[in-house]
Amino acid sequence: MSLQIKDLSFSFGDKKVLKGVSFEVADGEFIGLMGPNGSGKTTLLRCMMDYLPAESETVLVDMKPIHTFTQRELARMFAVVPQSSTTDFTFTAYDIVMMGRIPHISSRFVGESKADAEVVRKAMETTDTLRFATRVFSELSGGERQRVIIARAIAQQPKALLLDEPTVYLDINGQFEIMDLIKKLNKEDGITVIAVLHDVNLAARYCDRIALLNDGVVESIGPPKEVLTPDAIQSVYGIEVVIRKDPFTQAVYVMPRTSVPSIHRHGTRVHLISGGGTGGPTMKALHDQGYSVSTGVVNVLDDDFVSAKDLHIPAVAEVPFSQVSEEAHSENLRLISESSFVVVSSFPVGPGNFRNLEAAKAALDSGKRVIIVRPKDVPSIDFVGGKADALIAGLITSGATVTEDISKVLVGIPERRVA
Amino acid sequence: MNTNKSRKSKLTMWAIASVVILTVAAFASGILVGQVTTPKATGTVIIDDYGRTIKLGSEPKRVVSVAPTPTEMLFAVGAGNLVVGVDDYSDYPAAVKNVTKVGGIALNVEMILSLKPDLILSSDLVPLAQLAQLEGNGIPYIILAARTLEEVFKDIKLVGLMTGHIDDASALVSGLEARVAAVTAKTSDVNLTKPRVFVEFYPMWTYGPGSFGDDMIKLAGGTNIAANTSSEYVPVTDEFVIAQDPQVIVYTVGSNYNGTTPTTISKRPGWSGISAVAWGKMYSVDDNLVSRYGPRIVDGLEALAKILHPELF
Amino acid sequence: MDTSNPRKLHNDDLSSVSRRRMLILLGLAGLLAISTLVALFIGTLGPIGPAAQHRISYGDALNAIFSRSGEWETIFWDVRIPRVLLAGLVGAALACAGTAMQAVFRNPLADPFIIGVSSGAALGAATAGLIGLTAAVSVFLPPFFAFITALATVFAVYALGTVRGKVYADTLLLSGVAVAAFLGAIVSFLIYFVREQFHQLIFWLLGSLTLASWDMVIVVFIATVIGSLLIFLHGRDLNALLLGDETAHNLGVDPEFLRKLMLGVAALMTATAVAFTGIIGFVGLIVPHMMRLVFGADHRMLVPASTLFGGTFLILCDAVARTVAAPTELPVGVITALCGGPFFIYLLRRSRLGGEQR
Repeated sequence: MSLQIKDLSFSFGDKKVLKGVSFEVADGEFIGLMGPNGSGKTTLLRCMMDYLPAESETVLVDMKPIHTFTQRELARMFAVVPQSSTTDFTFTAYDIVMMGRIPHISSRFVGESKADAEVVRKAMETTDTLRFATRVFSELSGGERQRVIIARAIAQQPKALLLDEPTVYLDINGQFEIMDLIKKLNKEDGITVIAVLHDVNLAARYCDRIALLNDGVVESIGPPKEVLTPDAIQSVYGIEVVIRKDPFTQAVYVMPRTSVPSIHRHGTRVHLISGGGTGGPTMKALHDQGYSVSTGVVNVLDDDFVSAKDLHIPAVAEVPFSQVSEEAHSENLRLISESSFVVVSSFPVGPGNFRNLEAAKAALDSGKRVIIVRPKDVPSIDFVGGKADALIAGLITSGATVTEDISKVLVGIPERRVA
Repeated sequence: MNTNKSRKSKLTMWAIASVVILTVAAFASGILVGQVTTPKATGTVIIDDYGRTIKLGSEPKRVVSVAPTPTEMLFAVGAGNLVVGVDDYSDYPAAVKNVTKVGGIALNVEMILSLKPDLILSSDLVPLAQLAQLEGNGIPYIILAARTLEEVFKDIKLVGLMTGHIDDASALVSGLEARVAAVTAKTSDVNLTKPRVFVEFYPMWTYGPGSFGDDMIKLAGGTNIAANTSSEYVPVTDEFVIAQDPQVIVYTVGSNYNGTTPTTISKRPGWSGISAVAWGKMYSVDDNLVSRYGPRIVDGLEALAKILHPELF
Repeated sequence: MDTSNPRKLHNDDLSSVSRRRMLILLGLAGLLAISTLVALFIGTLGPIGPAAQHRISYGDALNAIFSRSGEWETIFWDVRIPRVLLAGLVGAALACAGTAMQAVFRNPLADPFIIGVSSGAALGAATAGLIGLTAAVSVFLPPFFAFITALATVFAVYALGTVRGKVYADTLLLSGVAVAAFLGAIVSFLIYFVREQFHQLIFWLLGSLTLASWDMVIVVFIATVIGSLLIFLHGRDLNALLLGDETAHNLGVDPEFLRKLMLGVAALMTATAVAFTGIIGFVGLIVPHMMRLVFGADHRMLVPASTLFGGTFLILCDAVARTVAAPTELPVGVITALCGGPFFIYLLRRSRLGGEQR
């Protein structure tokens, strides 16, 4: 069952909520609808199931306008799972699921058949809700209730499932439970899924395509990695993010950057010697404080390299699993010479990057101020049989400062003259 | 919108409309059919105080009275032996104590039917629906609703007529008329000062113009302070009574005894300055003598006259 | 039920639940029949009752009822039987309408009078006499007038509670409250200033089955049977409606239409009953609650259960009302309130305690 939305507009009185939305949903797709609050996602969903009256010819199911279907026919094709469901009335979970059969029971005068009961039982089995079938629905937990609602949706034997932020009230465990269940229904039973999702990463992980809505229009639509770019998210949500790849699913993973009020960039040059992902916080702290940061030598797979790229910080890179080359080392030294001072993070030192410590020593010897950032409880970083510890100890005795937190020593640095 | 939807709603609108029509028709048929025809027979034709014409097949032998006034009338004309049932509020004369009671605000239909009456006498305070229901069971009812002394006498004669005691009734009426004349002879004297009187039949309620009580006050030689108010039974305010400054206050006691005494009256805010209160001219009268428009109303008139003009009576 | 092993919960367990429910329904029907019969034996003249003289014996009663013979035949066939039947029908109508109202408004405090039926009928009853439509003309005139004014009031409440063609439960509720208050004020005004009418009206206001006759029984029968059948057939849809408008829509139920239909039918049933018997409170409010305790919220069982038990309840309350202080009759509304008040307190405490346990 395919769905076509053609130039759909909808207003509540004078307030225009949807302003010409167009896209298509193919049979069996898992498509996510995303957007900030007020972008019209829920309204779009409601138009899709004909709960809100859209203009004719704007919503088409299998190429036929939605108004040509009766309400019952639509209820047999679409099943809806809202954000949450509660009721003061003492329905049991079984009662709730059995209501999913209402669009299928042909006449007012007959009750449920054995076939209906069987559909319900299977639906509850799939959602693992059989065990509280006789319990009162309102006494179940949020996650259990959502599963029961999904069972009801399954009992409707729909061709498409419409979900409106189904995981909003669920804990982290419940969220993945529900999404896995929905994905299973999508893949195994071929049910088209259209889900309004607020959690960007859930959407990225589960959806085949994502439609990004903003202010009543579809800004972009496509596979997650195409749609969820930092620029798109910045423009739609107004937040700076960085994109990673989820190490397990390879799905796009969005990390918001905490926004800090921009400080006057005084441009004082600082060089950060780091690696093993330890330099990230320091790099950001320095960058946010207005310094002009450079870093080296890090290998291209290192998190510090990726962080540097995100912050547009020049980094001396090296290929992975190799020694710091002569070239890289010289470049490192050059950047050091151009800096006012040097910061060294507590990076794990192995034979491959021992030269980075030597660069730090060179910096100190040439009169540059060296600050070593060593947080409490850092495990031993020496993987060269003691040479690293010795060198660092030597740096300290020669005048390098040690601090736990770079921001503690940042104030006052620009005035300090190198002794 | 959806054509199917509108088809379904049209269908159900028709369904509801037909149910409404059916129900209304049932009601209507009830109205048309429910009128009871009283037995056509030669015998007395009575027109009661509601203008209804009732044909009595023969003299009634078993009468149920569902209000105190008709009860008193029946006994007063000597027809007390015909009375087989009275309402809970009938309490005069004493013989009534032994008569079967048939209910208060609501009449007990079972009880009445079991007494097998052939006539029901009522006042206008009994729910018409109940009387109509009894009529539907074959028992005619007559409503007595006198509003003036003349009407009371007429009703007494009517009761005498229908029970075969017309002579007793006429004699009673003559006696009553004589007693009334005795009062009015003295009170209609133009030179007589008619004291301002406040008659309180219920706390802060009095008789207004056009009511029986107002007539009585006039006949008893008093000036009703509420003679120019707006309705027959008026609630009054403290300011009104104080402004009118009655010289005599009459309050009722009896079945509706509500604790009113001269002391309580004088304690009402601002009342101590009223002439009647200052001179201690606050008198009680039996409630039943002024509210039951039957033979004893003349007793009430005499009591009132005695209060207003102790020097004359 | 073995809840430890989910596989074991199969159709037989679930259908045994519905079988149990059917049995309880049959039991309720039987209870109604029995209470009808018992109520026929209760009355001022006995056999179960206070009468000192003129006492009806059990044998006489049976004769009168079944072989229509004996001196008491009129008492039974003209007075008691129509009265008991009317009580059953009115109780059934009020309880059924109350169940529908509680579903339509999703509010357990709703009763059949909530959309203005009682205040409209009261106005009609109060003014019927004033414009000459007295019972002296025809016993049916005042009730018919009350019926018309009741329906007119419901239309008014409905129109006021509709916003742009859509009916919202809370707007409708408020509209009902406002109109009831307004009409109530008018009725009080009338009572105060036209005091002679008060005697005619108080009777009706307190609610009473005294005027029962076969004509009334027929009219109320038609309205009640058709009305409760219509509501019963929509039991499944009412369940869906309880979960919210949007959910109902998604399940193929048109919430707007269903609401209109249920309100209309319930109003009709209630107006018919109230026109004849005056305002009998609490039946429409507490009977659905009592049945919900037994059956849960499934309206396919709840509606017939409430209807049957409502009839039983009012039959018994009326039997008490007309006998316990004979020959004086207590207004049946007093008896239903005496049962209703304590029951509500019980419900309140039960839910509060339950809430604390959670």
